[in-house]
Amino acid sequence: MKVGDKDIALDKDGFMIDPEVWNDAVARAIAMDEGIEAMTEEHWKVVNFIREYWKKTGLAPAVRPMCQELNVNVRQIYKLFTSGPARGACRVAGLPKPDGCV
Amino acid sequence: MDGIIYLDNAATSFPKPDVVHDTVRDFYSKYGVNPGRTGCDLALKAEQMIHGTRKGLSDFFNQSIVDAGKVKDPNRLVFTMNATMSLNLIINGCVKPGDHVVTTKLEHNSVIRPVNHKVRAGSEATFVAPDVEGYLDPESIRKGIKKNTTLVIINHASNVTGVVQDLEAIGKVCAEAGVPLAVDCAQTAGVIPIDMTKCNISFLSFTGHKGLYGPTGTGGICVADNATIKGSIFGGTGVRSADPYHLEEYPYCLEAGTLNLSGIAGLSAGLKWILGKGIDSIYHHEMELMGMLQEGLAAIEGVKIHGTRNLKKRVATLSITVAGYDPSDVGTILDVDYGVQSRTGMQCAPLIHEHHGTTPRGTIRFSVGPFNTKEHIETAIRGVSEIAADRRK
Repeated sequence: MKVGDKDIALDKDGFMIDPEVWNDAVARAIAMDEGIEAMTEEHWKVVNFIREYWKKTGLAPAVRPMCQELNVNVRQIYKLFTSGPARGACRVAGLPKPDGCV
Repeated sequence: MDGIIYLDNAATSFPKPDVVHDTVRDFYSKYGVNPGRTGCDLALKAEQMIHGTRKGLSDFFNQSIVDAGKVKDPNRLVFTMNATMSLNLIINGCVKPGDHVVTTKLEHNSVIRPVNHKVRAGSEATFVAPDVEGYLDPESIRKGIKKNTTLVIINHASNVTGVVQDLEAIGKVCAEAGVPLAVDCAQTAGVIPIDMTKCNISFLSFTGHKGLYGPTGTGGICVADNATIKGSIFGGTGVRSADPYHLEEYPYCLEAGTLNLSGIAGLSAGLKWILGKGIDSIYHHEMELMGMLQEGLAAIEGVKIHGTRNLKKRVATLSITVAGYDPSDVGTILDVDYGVQSRTGMQCAPLIHEHHGTTPRGTIRFSVGPFNTKEHIETAIRGVSEIAADRRK
């Protein structure tokens, strides 16, 4: 993915290979790819929470405590990020693809 | 946990009965030592607990022998860490290069993967397909058996749809062909009565932490008195230490190293709890709730039930998809907004998902346990109904 003059490497599912090179411009570019035309304050609230949690723990936050902390229900998160908290919000927040049992 | 509705009992039963926790604590506080390594009182008490659990489980899976006043050798009940280890021991002990194994598309990866590794090493395998509902035709097992078949291995109940196979009919086919039958009872041990003799089962694999209500890290194999498995793990047994090779008699030939003693103590308590409650009574409760769940979900526009709707030859497990949704998203919304814990994805059983057309994203699986209530089921139905309605707007 090209953001400004930088090439941002993504994996086959569109998650960042190197989360350290994430910034607001990268977030907006991934969001656009997710079908989000413009990042609103509500989008940033979720993305920043995920980003801060990941920086502290190296993990994606569990959805339930994130919703409690942000005082939203998960369906609101799905309205903001139609791919959901893991495949949508975490991707915009620049996290590597979360593990999950599929 | 307050506010949590646990409908993932096919993964592990939760909560466990209080007596299981109490027994584990009791073991560690009163006699938590290694049996067989010494003759002291505590070691003997631990050995008695292990032997009593072997005998209890051995009798549990061989009721017709007990009813006939005969003795099923309890030492042929060997303990393992889990069903996966049991199934690996069976497959490794019965299938060598050039041999053929018959299994099915209903299996969990705990069978599929060890069998595939055998094939990679020079064995052959046939994966028999069930019918559209998920039931196996015993004749299809017969057709799968070849001259070099050394093992038929099937699951008793699918961990995806709950469909229960006719073990008596399949066992008859295997007995007639002279091929040992191994049954993965991960979903049925403690849930449905199983009689190894009546069903001609040579090797019964079980886990301790599901329908037997024991702790995780427990499982085992019950080996019929006329069957044998070549051992594939070697080491300490606590007896005859001077022997340079691993012991060949049961249970040692399939056990090596210190057992999960506290786990087995808890498993023994779980078994007693089931027997006290009555296996039929627990099953009836679970299936009544399953019937209610199935009926409620079937009535929701956009919900598809995968596999059988038969409530007779079944355990309390059900898989659905919801139109317009990835199953994992439904699971997340159910969890966070309704407190309902389900299991989404492929549930480690990829071939049955192919069979039901639910690859690659799988299903949302609900599995009911003895501590669930009608209110839990009502909440799950309401949750799915509201989630499905969102995509119809």
